Amino acid sequence: MLEVSGLSVSYGPVAALSEVSFKAEEGSITAVLGANGAGKTTLLRALTGLAPVKSGSARWASNELIGRRTEELVRLGVAHVPEGRGVVTELTVEENLRLGALWRKRQPDFRQLIERTYDLFPPLAERRSRPAATLSGGERQMLVIARALVARPQLLLLDEPSLGLAPLVTLELMRTVKELSRRDGLTLLLVEQNATSALSIADAAVVLSIGRVVITGDPKTLAADDQLRHSYLGF
Amino acid sequence: MTLFIDLTLNGLTYGLIYAAVALGLVLIWRATRVINFAQGALATLTTYVAATLLDRSLNYWVAFAVALAAGLIFGALTERVFMRPLYGKPELNPVVVTIGLLILVESVAGAIWGSTDRGLTPAFSQLGLTVGHTYLDFSSFDIFILVSVLVLMGLMLVLFRWTSLGLKMRASAFAPEVARLLGVRVGRLLTVGWALATFAGALAGVLVAPLLLLSPNMMDPVLVYGFAAAVLGGLDSPVGALVGGVLTGLGISYIGGYLGSSMETVGAAVLLVVVLSIRPEGLFAAAKARRV
Amino acid sequence: MSRADRLPGAERLKGLQGQPLAWHIALGIVAAAVLYLVTSSVSLYDNTIISEIAWYAIAIAGLSVLTGVSGQISLGHGAFMAVGAYGAGLMMEHFRLPLIVPILVGIAVATVLGAVVGLPATRLRGPYLAGVTLALALAAQDLPTKFSSLFNGDTGIIVNQATPPGGVNPERWLAWISLFGAIVTMIVLANFMKSRYGRALKAVRDDDIAAQASGLNPNRMRVLAFALAAGTAGLSGGLFALWSGIVNPNSFSLFLSIQLLAGMVIGGAGSLVGAWWGALALVYVPQWTNSVTSHFSSVSAITANVQGAIFGLLIIVVMMAAPTGIQGWLSGGYRRLRRGRSRTELEPVLPLDLDLSSTSTAPERTRP
Ligand SMILES: Nc1ncnc2c1ncn2[C@@H]1O[C@H](COP(=O)(O)OP(=O)(O)OP(=O)(O)O)[C@@H](O)[C@H]1O
Ligand SMILES: [Mg+2]
Repeated sequence: MLEVSGLSVSYGPVAALSEVSFKAEEGSITAVLGANGAGKTTLLRALTGLAPVKSGSARWASNELIGRRTEELVRLGVAHVPEGRGVVTELTVEENLRLGALWRKRQPDFRQLIERTYDLFPPLAERRSRPAATLSGGERQMLVIARALVARPQLLLLDEPSLGLAPLVTLELMRTVKELSRRDGLTLLLVEQNATSALSIADAAVVLSIGRVVITGDPKTLAADDQLRHSYLGF
Repeated sequence: MTLFIDLTLNGLTYGLIYAAVALGLVLIWRATRVINFAQGALATLTTYVAATLLDRSLNYWVAFAVALAAGLIFGALTERVFMRPLYGKPELNPVVVTIGLLILVESVAGAIWGSTDRGLTPAFSQLGLTVGHTYLDFSSFDIFILVSVLVLMGLMLVLFRWTSLGLKMRASAFAPEVARLLGVRVGRLLTVGWALATFAGALAGVLVAPLLLLSPNMMDPVLVYGFAAAVLGGLDSPVGALVGGVLTGLGISYIGGYLGSSMETVGAAVLLVVVLSIRPEGLFAAAKARRV
Repeated sequence: MSRADRLPGAERLKGLQGQPLAWHIALGIVAAAVLYLVTSSVSLYDNTIISEIAWYAIAIAGLSVLTGVSGQISLGHGAFMAVGAYGAGLMMEHFRLPLIVPILVGIAVATVLGAVVGLPATRLRGPYLAGVTLALALAAQDLPTKFSSLFNGDTGIIVNQATPPGGVNPERWLAWISLFGAIVTMIVLANFMKSRYGRALKAVRDDDIAAQASGLNPNRMRVLAFALAAGTAGLSGGLFALWSGIVNPNSFSLFLSIQLLAGMVIGGAGSLVGAWWGALALVYVPQWTNSVTSHFSSVSAITANVQGAIFGLLIIVVMMAAPTGIQGWLSGGYRRLRRGRSRTELEPVLPLDLDLSSTSTAPERTRP
């Protein structure tokens, strides 16, 4: 289980997160929602040592995540797909994928892992030796998610995977995400602008507003509650 | 005609030395956006180490290996001690620190070994070879220079293209945050990068010393031409370093041979301005990433 | 910005601040008066030192405006000094003219060359431009040898001391001339930084496209900055010629260019006051190290190199301990003392394009 409690982050005098607390069950999908600037990205970055945490804790399995160095986290089973531009454009598609497997000293099943990932995202297989710079936006999103999977995480943090994708592709993507979570028992934190599609696959939801948690609960109720949708999600 | 051949061979020899220096500069620029002006001075230091061992009549190859190893160590130390505290500070600062280091290291070398020129025993004969009936201004040692720099380039290519270490280094250079999220210890790899870059410089140092005579500021002009070569090739491109080095070497050799040696620097400056006016980011400027 | 507005009686002068030129001239006159008293009371030797500080400060100030305001970097500033020195020196050698004429000619030639070099600068960024200016510095050293008949090769040209009006010592006279040049330079540069052009340059440095959109021509601005910095170096070179009495290629080695750059960063890039700190460091640190080492060691290899070692070390230490240079460090301390006042009086000492990306959203190309 992921248990975040009292997490605060500030950039200089600007508080980006204040006392954020919530829990996410193992093997579940938690949608993290909120308007622009609500602190969603900051939350994920705080969990992986990329944002300056002021106080609070985040326990995953039996480990404390806060205070660790970013490069250690993948060894605790945490993978973070950052918002936008996470592809290393100077490398080929395959090199990007290999990067995901590198943290393990010995990688006996590495080839197999990559092939399995290609099965999951066929367009990547066709483009494996192309520079990632030549991929389309959607292909890039596939690549960063695929790369995170190659790292074999138990906790996957996805920051706006649907950014810039067509609605149909987004739907497809959400299905894949759901499938992954079910198949591998992945725990997912899914940050999304596209609340409808995120809520459709989520088991739980956390809504942030100006750095605070304003709602936690069942995604179905949330999707149904027009008032809440209006005031925090803007649709 | 023989003049032309001699100039070409000579230009190639120096060109590959410039290429080794340029490669060192490119490796560091790619990873840390710093031009390491101390590279030449550090190479002088490692060459003095080799010279001291040779004076103790050690085997040439032992001295050669120790100099290169010293390059690795000095590079790593420079990154750890001087560069690491400066990442994230104004861009100019680390560059100026390398200039300070250049002055410091050359002075220390002068204090230890004196400022007068001295020779360095070459690995092979420096007498020109005779091919058929023509005597060439090109020696066995020059061949050794060509071969060793090409071997260095080959090894770097293998390292970067086909090993995990190389992949990690490229990832750390291009996208440090992403690399860290995937478990790459970026800080450590920066140290490795500086070590390798200084290694390349150290090779250039022991190779060029028999040609130029060893003195504390022996590497100053070599560094400047190496920098010109790196700029010419495109600072992000190791291949550019090789091509830029060869072009610079040939260009200077022809200018010096046909127009007189005092025109070398002027010619090099003009060449650089002309090429950069046409391609402002060097010949092998990285293709701009597709914006999505 | 100016120190004077912190002085008690300065309130009244504040009205002048609306007109930078008038304000800067007023400051200049005060400075001139103070400096007149100083030069008259110190020894002739010290007057020579003052001249040296002045020509260093002039060159560094120009470089500082170039780097700090426009974000461009020149590793070959010594070359522009050489042009000014040779220009002025040759005029003095061949024609009998009032001193001001050869100096102005030196400035003019350096400015023109600066504009020519500034042309590629319009397209080049960061280290690419540094590479060009570095090559230029080397070439400048070899040209006099190539055109030996004009420049008298490695020997160089002899420059006669400026003849002072009756009764004044030549050293003192030179100190006055140099300080006058320095004050004029500071006024011009300070005014330039405040002017429409100076602000435009900052805009260009910060954002090319935004600057363009607001009707500025970034390329023309860059050429202008380069020409201005080169012209200042030309003046510095002319004064150097008078000061040293001889102009030869050795005076303008690459080391001079590096010294100027180091002086600029030690003082604080983008700050005119910083230029003086830099000049003081360039003049006094070697003197001081020389006198200290002569006490401790007589091995010539060591004494000959201690100066360089300390200079190198000083550069490293300042850069690591006070990343914005001496002036940045001082004004930072001043600001800390005055924390709480709403108006920040001090212009930040400008680092080169601060790497904003390293903390913000773009994950690519950031440094750890
Ligand atoms: N590096 C930073 N420095 C200063 N402020 C920051 C930084 N990063 C984020 N912030 C601020 O923190 C707040 C939260 O930002 P965050 O990126 O977490 O929002 P978000 O919920 O991900 O928004 P979006 O949906 O637009 O991606 C914003 O007000 C933002 O301006
Ligand atoms: Mg976000």
